[in-house]
Amino acid sequence: MEKETSASETAGVTGTVDLVSRDESPVVDLTDRVHLLPCSVKHNGPSPVSDYFKPRKTDVEVEGMNVQEAFFRGRRLHGTTVPIPDGYSGYVLEKPQVGKRKKLQNSDGESNCWQSRGQFGNITYWNHDNMPSSDDAVLRSFHWFPISDALHKKVTPEEMAKAASHLNK
Amino acid sequence: MGTVPLPQWASEPCIMGIDEAGRGPVLGPMVYGCLYCALSYQKTLASLNFADSKTLKEEKREELFENLKSDPSLGWEVDIIDPRDLSAKMLQRTKINLNEISHNSAMGLVRRVLALGVFLTEVYVDTVGDADKYREKLSERFPGVKFVVAKKADSLYSVVSGASIVAKVTRDRSLRDWVLDETVPNINRNFGSGYPGDPDTKAWLVENKHQLFGFPTLVRFSWGTCTPFFKDCIQVLWECDKDEEEGSNACNSKKQLKLSSVGFTGYKRKIEDIESSGKGRCKFFQARKLELVTKFH
Repeated sequence: MEKETSASETAGVTGTVDLVSRDESPVVDLTDRVHLLPCSVKHNGPSPVSDYFKPRKTDVEVEGMNVQEAFFRGRRLHGTTVPIPDGYSGYVLEKPQVGKRKKLQNSDGESNCWQSRGQFGNITYWNHDNMPSSDDAVLRSFHWFPISDALHKKVTPEEMAKAASHLNK
Repeated sequence: MGTVPLPQWASEPCIMGIDEAGRGPVLGPMVYGCLYCALSYQKTLASLNFADSKTLKEEKREELFENLKSDPSLGWEVDIIDPRDLSAKMLQRTKINLNEISHNSAMGLVRRVLALGVFLTEVYVDTVGDADKYREKLSERFPGVKFVVAKKADSLYSVVSGASIVAKVTRDRSLRDWVLDETVPNINRNFGSGYPGDPDTKAWLVENKHQLFGFPTLVRFSWGTCTPFFKDCIQVLWECDKDEEEGSNACNSKKQLKLSSVGFTGYKRKIEDIESSGKGRCKFFQARKLELVTKFH
């Protein structure tokens, strides 16, 4: 799973992601606890979220989605919990502390190796005022998954032949 | 809440007063109250010593409220507007100002009392905003009713004084019994009156401010009183504020960008790149705002 890289190797950045915990701390199941807010919060770090952020179920249903309501900084948010599509999973990644694994640093002195700390099977995304809709970006971004699957699926010689005969028609 | 079933006098011509409590405070609900009775009861009403609720002591108000509740010749209703609703409406994309919220609440009460079957002929209202425009709005909405909209109506008409007691006592009780949404340990309830100038209220705001969440939802985030508190809070950027800052007034325009799409990749971003664009990629990605992320922060 791990691979050493040098900065000169590619124009992009190469790194590794460990999805299975290999040390003492186990991966936490964060299903039902991941929220995507419709605002930019200029803060990174722990917060007493469950003491303040209190999503409530409503009786409203839109396009088959159960609508929840919550408030943040005085704004009313409407949200819904959607499963991460089959075959995929959500992860919370962390960079293992530099120094511990020196050999994984690239020439910038920066590690680009990640380790999963939490995993989630759904996500609750929130809109400011607006009701959830299938036009929401989170749901639309999921469209990529089946296309990606199709693009990366191994093609059998039979399928190739079939496609070729199609083209020749 | 009000008197049920409908008393006989309600089919006589009736008068009603409407007043508000808790419009100014930075926390707690705003309450609209109304009191109604038969026109023929007006003289008796004047002898009941209702005065503008603000000039009375709390115990006296409580006593008067209990009296009017037990008076079979009077009817009353209240509309309690949650501070969460006040904040949300005043901060939503298409903002609703406090005057409009107030007008809607008052009209809601008129509608409710008419729906009970009370024969309202005259309604006295303490003005919010321009009295003439407010009266026109009310008359247009309820053509069969004569509206008297005045400044200080609560001290001019006893039926409005009565309504002010209904509203004020309901607001005080509601704040006293308020169930806080937050489960923060050791959160105290010394809210004070809620008025920005009240030292207790000020102290409570200071004590219960949170760097990220701002305040408990009891507080009206849309109040100017809150603004200085947010200065040293963690910055939170909203799309509709961004439009406002840019002076495009796009909060209620259709041109506004959709922010609903902050990506999965974290939130420590500048406002300019608050949403991914998929710029330079094929249409499929652009339409879904899917961007290639090469570097995580």
